[in-house]
Amino acid sequence: MSDTTNITLDNVSRFYGEVLGVNRVTLSIPPGITSLVGPNGSGKTTLMNLMTGLVRPTYGRISVLGIVPSEPQKLFRLVGYSTQFDSFPRGLTGFQFIQSFLRFFGCSSATSGELASKAIAQVGLTDAATRKIVAYSKGMRQRIKLAQAIAHDPKVLVLDEPLNGLDPLVRAETIALFRRWADEGRHVIVSSHVLHEVDLISDRVILLTGGYVVAEGQIHGVRTEIQEHPMQILIRCDRPGALAARVFEQEHVVAAQVLPDGGGLLVQTRDADRFYRQLNHLALDNIQIEAVAPADDNVNSVYQYLVGGEEASQ
Amino acid sequence: MNPSQWAQIFAIVRLEIWKTFFSRRGLWIYLFALTPVLLFTANSIYAPREQARLARIAESHPRVLTNLTAITPGMSNSVVVEKLGEPYAKRSWHHRVEHGRAFEHARYQYTDGKSDFTFWFFNGQVRHIERSDPQTLPQNILIFATIFRFYFLRLAVLFGCVGIFTNLFRGEMLDKSLHFYLLTPVRREILLAGKFLAGLLATMVIFTASVALQWVALLWQFPHAAVAGYFAEPTAAHLLPYLGVTVLACAAYGSVFLCAGLLFRNPIVPAAVVLLWESANLFLPATLQKLGIIYYLQSLCPLAAAPDSSMPVPLTLLISATPAAPAPVALACLLFFTLAVLVYSGFRSRKLEINYSTD
Repeated sequence: MSDTTNITLDNVSRFYGEVLGVNRVTLSIPPGITSLVGPNGSGKTTLMNLMTGLVRPTYGRISVLGIVPSEPQKLFRLVGYSTQFDSFPRGLTGFQFIQSFLRFFGCSSATSGELASKAIAQVGLTDAATRKIVAYSKGMRQRIKLAQAIAHDPKVLVLDEPLNGLDPLVRAETIALFRRWADEGRHVIVSSHVLHEVDLISDRVILLTGGYVVAEGQIHGVRTEIQEHPMQILIRCDRPGALAARVFEQEHVVAAQVLPDGGGLLVQTRDADRFYRQLNHLALDNIQIEAVAPADDNVNSVYQYLVGGEEASQ
Repeated sequence: MNPSQWAQIFAIVRLEIWKTFFSRRGLWIYLFALTPVLLFTANSIYAPREQARLARIAESHPRVLTNLTAITPGMSNSVVVEKLGEPYAKRSWHHRVEHGRAFEHARYQYTDGKSDFTFWFFNGQVRHIERSDPQTLPQNILIFATIFRFYFLRLAVLFGCVGIFTNLFRGEMLDKSLHFYLLTPVRREILLAGKFLAGLLATMVIFTASVALQWVALLWQFPHAAVAGYFAEPTAAHLLPYLGVTVLACAAYGSVFLCAGLLFRNPIVPAAVVLLWESANLFLPATLQKLGIIYYLQSLCPLAAAPDSSMPVPLTLLISATPAAPAPVALACLLFFTLAVLVYSGFRSRKLEINYSTD
């Protein structure tokens, strides 16, 4: 548990009375963007609250870059947390909110003001900085929380549903911001139930359902491990019928279906790696292959395979 | 504690104090604190006017005090009028009961220009005499001492501390804004200390200001010479000890209710228990009295407010007259108690969690 580069959870469980929050979670999260994915109530927020010490584990141990969450005086010098909670201390403007927060880090009035302005500018709220938070829209509140999380330049960013309420333009800017932070070697932990966004931004995902981690890792790797659901591979080619006949001879290919537009083939295989290796050989006899792409190793498909279509659609 | 922790405490106090003073939920605390000020102010306005009125009446109906005090119960109204002349105010009425029998009631009022005498007649005879003398400073200070003990400490300060200190944690749990502090690099014990100091500062300002204003209102009606004369006496009760007791009350009750706000989802229940315990203190056996904060606070009060002579006898019998604790002992007990509760709260604050959904 003295890992000073990763966030580690060792057999962590949290119960709220008899209600399960998360159960037997063991993770080691390296720098980069890690998404916690799961429907409402799956344990994403509990996991984030556990990492930041807002709730304590019933069992197990947690370490954030070697620091235990029960030492907030050390932890929050490294960690910035944008929570899902939408309440703020009363009567403060956006600028005052960030500045007051920075005063707890021992910053002088001038330094905290400077850092607050910088953080507010990063989330594009400079024009609204002197307005009271109570008058902010949901998207603005989301951004001011983001500014609070980044204001002290933390190494670990924990962001609970950070894209909620943001308009498409700001969403794109925010995702770019996450990317930049991750490229700087920080940990960016993001929770979301909007799966296509997770696909866009994540280096790795942690899939949760009912308080359990059902899969974790790079999304492609997670997908490959799901043996009971054959992988779907989309092939764009000029003679899909001929290719279908040849690929179907392979024992690991479960199905091969010509696309309705006649310009390609959807193959289902139990061994994607083998299929890719064999594809050039199969495509002899003047079959022109224009493109090959996995059709279902996105988070949505993985999630549907793991926890069922009903939950994934939430 | 290092300078950075002091800076964190200062940052907490700065954020909390504003909320505490100007919270709409706390308006009733000002009402509790200012009620005695209003009463003393009203009295200070009323008393000189009443004196002037009696002096004006005495000019047109001059009476001598010795004649007025010579009237005793049983005298007839004709004798009273013969000795004193016609009253400056007179009222009579009949009270009829069954069998057509009627009783006659009357009220005659006289004054010598300073004291006001009211003679109550029943069927033509003096039954009861009321005498209202000009107010004196020692009398008023005794009234202050009684109000301070039985209203101010037991109700105003206690309820004020409930309102302010329980909300420091519980109020923010209900507002769902406590996580703001828990996301900062502040030890939970430092957070607790900052919040306690903010609450203490707020209650101290509100309640010591109230005590000071009560004294201003109380002294206002008396001439400067009378005030100077009173305070020249070695036994005079001074303002400073009352301010000190108020601060200690805010600290002791504050620590209890801060702890209650931290431990209980509904701190009104422990607050009611403390209120009940502190109110019952007067009637508890000596040993149990010493388990109440109020006992030590009262021990430090400069004036003992004895049970009033008009108090019903059964009630006076119930009152347990426990000797006051020596001042150093009372002071040490209060400080130790406050510190112990704060240390315990600090220990419990380490386990503080954000779980808004259950609040």
